[in-house]
Amino acid sequence: MIRRDFIKSGGTLLAAAPFMNFGAGNPLTKKMLVLGFDGMDPGIVNRLMQQGQLPNMQRLGGQGVFTMMHSTIPPQSPVAWGSFISGADPGVYGIFDFLHRNPDNYTPFFSQSETLPSRMLVNLGQYQIPLKPGKVVLKREGRAFWDYMEDRGIPATVLKLPTNYPPSESKQRTLSGMGTPDILGTYGIYSLYTSDENESQKDITPNNVYYAYIDENNIMEGQIEGPRNDLLKEGENVVVPFKVYVDNRHKTARIDIQGQEILIAEKEYSDWVEIKFSLISNLASITGMVKFYLMEMGDRFRLYISPTHISPRDPAVPISTPAGYSRELTDHVGLFHTIGLPADTKALGQGTFAMENFITQSLSVFDESCHMFDFELQRFSSQKEGLLFFYFSSLDQGQHMFWALNDKEHPYYHPEESRKFAYITDEMYRKFDRVLGKAMKNIDPGIPLLLMSDHGFGPFRRGVNVNTWLVKEGYLKMTTSDISEAVSILGYADWPASKAYALGLNGLYLNLKGREKEGAVAPEERRRLLDEIKAKLENISDPQNGNKVISCAYISEDNFSKNFIDRAPDIILGFDRGYRISNESALGSLSREVVSDNMDWWSGDHCVDPKKVPASFIANFKIQSPVPNMQDVAPTILKYFGIATPSQMTGKALI
Amino acid sequence: MSSKVKLSKEAGQKADEIIAFHGYSSLEELIEDLINKEYEKIKSGDNKEELANKLSGLGYIS
Repeated sequence: MIRRDFIKSGGTLLAAAPFMNFGAGNPLTKKMLVLGFDGMDPGIVNRLMQQGQLPNMQRLGGQGVFTMMHSTIPPQSPVAWGSFISGADPGVYGIFDFLHRNPDNYTPFFSQSETLPSRMLVNLGQYQIPLKPGKVVLKREGRAFWDYMEDRGIPATVLKLPTNYPPSESKQRTLSGMGTPDILGTYGIYSLYTSDENESQKDITPNNVYYAYIDENNIMEGQIEGPRNDLLKEGENVVVPFKVYVDNRHKTARIDIQGQEILIAEKEYSDWVEIKFSLISNLASITGMVKFYLMEMGDRFRLYISPTHISPRDPAVPISTPAGYSRELTDHVGLFHTIGLPADTKALGQGTFAMENFITQSLSVFDESCHMFDFELQRFSSQKEGLLFFYFSSLDQGQHMFWALNDKEHPYYHPEESRKFAYITDEMYRKFDRVLGKAMKNIDPGIPLLLMSDHGFGPFRRGVNVNTWLVKEGYLKMTTSDISEAVSILGYADWPASKAYALGLNGLYLNLKGREKEGAVAPEERRRLLDEIKAKLENISDPQNGNKVISCAYISEDNFSKNFIDRAPDIILGFDRGYRISNESALGSLSREVVSDNMDWWSGDHCVDPKKVPASFIANFKIQSPVPNMQDVAPTILKYFGIATPSQMTGKALI
Repeated sequence: MSSKVKLSKEAGQKADEIIAFHGYSSLEELIEDLINKEYEKIKSGDNKEELANKLSGLGYIS
């Protein structure tokens, strides 16, 4: 069955063999295991199952169900996992995109959390000491499903789940996932030391590239940039120096940093190296950690240093509940990555990594997750009751970067790279099948086991600049006639004359009077304008091939609960297969063409029409709906544990 | 609009140094120039660059 047929079939692929009654009130056991494989595509799973390459998924589905699941509108991970957490549509928990916008100044911002600065500063010599520390606030609203379990004294362990940074207050064991920043507060800034002069001149902003000067004693000196020291009146970034002793003869190097000696060979990653960034000498410091990757030695020296992760042993900001849980995990499994999106897709996109370097790093992230999962699986096996949820990011991040390897129609298709690495996507699926196999082997077969994703995947061949389209259609007016990447709506929009603008990965907003600072659309004009723009968006065709670009423009008020709909874009753009918002448009910039080729290894995506990228649902129990919805999972878990669906939840229990 | 700005002694001294160094004719001219520069920064989307840097690690925006 080809992928499209599978999606058209719109229902359960594998009929449930033995019916297993997991209904509330009569549970076979009071334990449940849920695995979240971000981005696991039901079409690819189906293809590989047919080929006999995913025996464990096949077996699991054979015991209950394998079907696709409706993702959220839009099918972005923070939105979809938010729906899983809340058992509701995005209107209930208020996350609609990676990026939201501030209507007071039209500026986009990260939707999942907000950093509030410290207040009440006291001057003390060269320092200013906050009496009230700053804090990070989770922007997801409402309760998580594990809170209701806590109310009933049922334990839950929830690891690496997106849209939970900082983790919401809970007595349950939770560890934050996607959305967790690095120590600089960014989502991952790496450094490269290279002896290649040309490469050292390359602009890889915001990442750092330095010329690696190796002296006559074969020593290279460098530094790792830490966070800005806000305790200093003249705030400056804290840096930690290090030295590399290069041994080209043996293709090894020794790195000395803060009294630690790290030995690594060429093409090898170091273990995690903890670093203390001193804010006030001997009094205040914060701990981060990095990995060194010695990519090349000899003629060309290249040393990659990972973004500085928050140390789970001594986290500078909360990353777990209880606060000591991340330390407890570290005691058992060693240090582990904490950044929400740990594989360095930027390093590949910017040419710092070759594909093989990226694959090496991805597999290292995967192995680390597996190690942590093994530990929690053992603990779960010995527990009498409760839920274990474990999230893996590698399939999602991998498919973003590997898609073009198997897509000859992709403008970034490289035959040579494809010949060498096209196997990797299927191999990742096989690896994940083995993770499932291990889980199935280690738990009682009577325990309900659900394997799910948040969305599927598709090609990102052409980028669509919706802001440029809005300018061409007359909905967005600019104060300059220049239509290029250099022009942003943030600097050049003529707001009083503009009716709509696009920001984020799927968002289109009306410039509404009374809401936007310089709104131009009267409330009585709003609905007519939404319908007009929706119709026009759904008619955009790609001038290169005549294909439809947007298969559905979703009007938010027709699709979401009203609780936090004020944060939502007015229209969610459902791109057709092959298309996605362009990088420029997502942050408010224009470009000369409305539709242009995507020339980047970031070649697969899912920020499209949710109908084009359904999620996967594979379980060893039967469900009552042929095609479940993301928001149905939490009510299902609660029902299994004997808890009625809370009024906050808009999803329906599937058992 | 005319408004009075009260500066600390330290800031006043720094302002005097800047006025002398860059050749401003008055404190008012210096302040007006600084306001204009800051305003230009906002209008040209300076914070957009900062935001893009922060978000680039997500991968979705290059």
